[in-house]
Amino acid sequence: MKSQKIQIDTIRKVFQYIKNYRILLSVSVVLAASTVALTLYVPILIGNAIDYIIGPDNVNFEAVAKILVKIAFAVGITSILEWLMHTINNNITYQVVRDIRKKAFRKIEILPLSYIDSHPHGEIVSRVIADTDQFAEGLLMGFTQLFTGVVTIIGTLIFMLTINVKITFIVVVLTPLSLFVANFIAKSTYSMFKLQSETRGEQTSLIEEMIDNVKIVQAFSYQEEVLRKFDEINRRLEKCSLRAVFFSSLTNPLTRFINSLVYAAVALAGAIAVIGGDVGSSMTVGGLSIFLSYANQYTKPFNEISGVITEMQNAIACAGRIFELIEEKPQIPDAEDAIILEKASGNVLFDNVAFSYVSERPLIRNLNLKVEPGQSVAIVGPTGSGKTTVINLLMRFYDVDSGGIKVEGIDIRDITRNSLRENYGMVLQDTWLKSGTIRENITMGKPEATEEEIIAAAKAAHAHSFIKRLEYGYDTVISEEGGSLSQGQKQLLSIARVMLCLPPMLILDEATSSIDTRTEVKIQEAFARLMQGRTSFIVAHRLSTIREADIILVMKDGDIIEQGTHDELLSQKGFYANLYNSQFEQ
Amino acid sequence: MKKLLVYLKGHIKESILGPLLKLLEASFELLVPIVIKSIVDIGIGRADKVYIIKMCLILMLLGVVGMVCSVTAQYFAAKASVGFVTKLRRALFKHISYLSYTEIDTLGTSSMITRMTSDMNQVQTGINLTLRLLLRSPFIVFGAMIMAFTVDAKAAFTFVVAIPALFIVVFTIMLLSIPLYKKVQHRLDRVLNSTRENLMGVRVIRAFRLEEKEIEEFDKRNEELTATQKFVGRISALMNPLTYVIINIAIIWLIHIGAIRVSAGVLTQGAVLALYNYMSQILVELIKFANLIISITKAVASANRISAVLDVKSSLIEKESISQNSGSEYAVEFRHVGLKYKNAGGEALTDINFSVRRGEVVGIIGGTGSGKTSLVNLIPRFYDATSGEVIVDGTNVKDYPLKELRDKIGIVPQKAVLFKGSIRENMRWGNNNATDEEIMEAINMAQAGEIVAQKKDGLDFAIEQGGKNLSGGQRQRFTIARALVKKPEILILDDSASALDFATDAALRKALREMPDNPTLFIVSQRTSSIQFADKIVVLDDGEIAGIGKHDELLETCEVYREIYDSQFKKEEK
Repeated sequence: MKSQKIQIDTIRKVFQYIKNYRILLSVSVVLAASTVALTLYVPILIGNAIDYIIGPDNVNFEAVAKILVKIAFAVGITSILEWLMHTINNNITYQVVRDIRKKAFRKIEILPLSYIDSHPHGEIVSRVIADTDQFAEGLLMGFTQLFTGVVTIIGTLIFMLTINVKITFIVVVLTPLSLFVANFIAKSTYSMFKLQSETRGEQTSLIEEMIDNVKIVQAFSYQEEVLRKFDEINRRLEKCSLRAVFFSSLTNPLTRFINSLVYAAVALAGAIAVIGGDVGSSMTVGGLSIFLSYANQYTKPFNEISGVITEMQNAIACAGRIFELIEEKPQIPDAEDAIILEKASGNVLFDNVAFSYVSERPLIRNLNLKVEPGQSVAIVGPTGSGKTTVINLLMRFYDVDSGGIKVEGIDIRDITRNSLRENYGMVLQDTWLKSGTIRENITMGKPEATEEEIIAAAKAAHAHSFIKRLEYGYDTVISEEGGSLSQGQKQLLSIARVMLCLPPMLILDEATSSIDTRTEVKIQEAFARLMQGRTSFIVAHRLSTIREADIILVMKDGDIIEQGTHDELLSQKGFYANLYNSQFEQ
Repeated sequence: MKKLLVYLKGHIKESILGPLLKLLEASFELLVPIVIKSIVDIGIGRADKVYIIKMCLILMLLGVVGMVCSVTAQYFAAKASVGFVTKLRRALFKHISYLSYTEIDTLGTSSMITRMTSDMNQVQTGINLTLRLLLRSPFIVFGAMIMAFTVDAKAAFTFVVAIPALFIVVFTIMLLSIPLYKKVQHRLDRVLNSTRENLMGVRVIRAFRLEEKEIEEFDKRNEELTATQKFVGRISALMNPLTYVIINIAIIWLIHIGAIRVSAGVLTQGAVLALYNYMSQILVELIKFANLIISITKAVASANRISAVLDVKSSLIEKESISQNSGSEYAVEFRHVGLKYKNAGGEALTDINFSVRRGEVVGIIGGTGSGKTSLVNLIPRFYDATSGEVIVDGTNVKDYPLKELRDKIGIVPQKAVLFKGSIRENMRWGNNNATDEEIMEAINMAQAGEIVAQKKDGLDFAIEQGGKNLSGGQRQRFTIARALVKKPEILILDDSASALDFATDAALRKALREMPDNPTLFIVSQRTSSIQFADKIVVLDDGEIAGIGKHDELLETCEVYREIYDSQFKKEEK
């Protein structure tokens, strides 16, 4: 019941989206109805023509010619109308898809980070791409199919009734048999398909796991063991696939068989009606031809409809997932009277800040910290201790639960997000580059930058020399996630990006590993240059960086457990001192 | 692709009988209009009810026999296609798991996974459809034409014109729209990329306030996609109307000729009806055939991709004979070794020359790309040296059977990977017969004892795929333990302590040093602290040895080493 309510709700929303295409939609419906009517009319015309061709010297050429012209017209018009209908339907479908994607993307841009961080990206992408497609095809195409199907059934019925009631009765009674059979097969194969897809899923995950790590499999000479596991699943899959494939492929022969029964019955009743000259009906050979052609087609719409209905249900489920994304609560918008922060001097204050990602697991409690302009704050601690949380709060990717962060004495929730973020320069450890040219990536924060400014920034970031050596220099296109560039080069590029804007405050995330020493020295220098005279927050791994910081925040399990300068902390002989010394311990 | 047919062996009977039965069924179907013709001409013509009933019974009989044939054919087709793919899948899986690292690098794991999964399914569907329908549809189309000739040769010429015309229309539209569909796919990919980038790069995009610009770009791509889709839609929407027109023109022509010939007494009314019925049969089959061609094309493309992977030969040539242990005093020797990866511009390793005594601890240090991993990968012969020799236990690695060589060596790769299954199962990768005591011993040595102790199920704790339910550091410790279970003669830690905090790292190093079997130990690291106390430190710089020696010596003599050290320990100078 509840799921039904959700379905209805979803359908209501779908109508919202197609509202704009009301007129096109009604044109399409009219076209569909006329196409179907004409298509059904043609066999009648042909039947009539055949009735005028009785035997030697018994052909009414004039009448036949007239009918043939009619057929030609009917066929011509049908084909034009049909093409128009398809085109209109396509257009509606694709435009609705476009509208939905537009909305979804706009939502993505204002979703709170908490949503994006906690949902697998693949899943969100699949909602925007696959679900939308499926929804459009299933629902809109499904709708036209459903509509034409119903019209065909009703039309055929009416046409048949006008010719011969008895034979119509035979068709109407017998055809549902094929539906029944199709339905029966679908139902009984459902569990086979389910088993097949489960087994397939099991196998796929084994394949993914083993092929992804085939090097490790080889390092342990574990191929035979793995193959044995694979074989076991493979054998099961063969068995259940065979069942699923075979039983589902029975639909076609069986329904066709029933069709041929109907066909034979119609032929029998029709032929006898022609000779018998039933009272009240004048059945002719032409009429028989019409019935035979209808009998052939009559079951088709039924079969299609049952397929369409499952498709449509699936489409509604897809639509539900898309709407869920579109209706997701956005981040709290900037207040009407939010302050636009001009160039900050670099006063940052954490006032009794508490924060947690999940409410039952408090993370940061009572964080107090005062940072003067130009000071540097190093955040240290073991992996997973929540160092990046501080970045999330500073940039207002997440909002604090209680307390507040103030920049220049203003709570950051009273500042527009854009102007707050404009005052920070951020270099993250897992550097993200946009697919595009190197230039586009550097000028992200300042699209109007001149060539000289770009080169100057790149030079200051020690990136110029390697960019210069690339085949197309600054116009080199980098693929998604930076592809051909090394981790270190990517980080230099993202430093150049910040170097170009030179905002008053910095957030830096030192790379833990996988950067070669030479590049690392360059990055250090570039960082140092950036930090001159700027308030900076650094998630630090290198002792040299840490030692030189004005304030060190030591984090453990999400808590700030110690706070002070290097010397103060060492003399406390606490966690920091331990951490620091362990590096030299043997 | 032909080579794949080998896997059809054992299903030859099915693969031949299936299509044959289908043809039989199609023949019955082709007889139907003739029966109808007899009903009209003889039954109705002579008002012979008994004849009509007899003929209708024949129609039903045709239906029954057709169904039996068809069902049997479906079974054969299903059996052959499923059986074929099952064998092929096994063969490919086995093939992949024995490819050498070089081939794995070239092929890429994600593409191999696609070959194993969606390509296989595509092939299965393709074969199934081929066996069922590939012969049937053309058979009906041409059969209908031939039957028309038996009815009346002159009228049947309409078929000779109509069939090619239909073929041309159907295949022109298909050929036009297939590249366009590819274009649609490409544009869809661009929309998809925009979406994904905005999720992956959300922090950077928001930090640089690019939301508006991104929306603009997305809209542009979205519009482009829609425009192309509409265009393709218009073209493929032509298919139905055009074929409909052609078929009906042909029918009009048939009736026209039929009328003349009936009037002349050459044809009967039933014959005209039969011709009309044959023409109607063609259209349905032709459309089916066009769709079938699309599926088969896809299946052939998939089959070719699978075949391409199967054609890749492992570049490691394995010796069968068991090598003789010479009992060399050195565990590992590198003799002027060079390594150039396939398709790479330059050498990854150049003239590496050093030897390691049994039980020694060797540290390998250098920046990224300096060749540390390449160097250790040569010991278990993951790659073949392109020049020089790698000697393990006095014998060239190329002279060992791979399994024997790799059994001596325990390696802990950079990427800490665990597999779905219990901790115990994972540990047994090192030694299938390891007892719980042995496993725990290794785990304790790898500083992972406390993790096991915390889990309620102990060694039975179920690790999820990829070890997702463990932290990076925990995973790393288990991968070390896994290698230790093997009790290897040579143990290689390839930057395997990067996710460990300093204290754990130090404890681990201490434990390794005190290992009872005293294996030869290679430690690859970026941190000088991890290797500082090694018996021998090999400093790599851009694929070459920049220095070998102990920590103190290297500080004096090796500039690269000093540079690395200084960047991490500036403390002493101050």
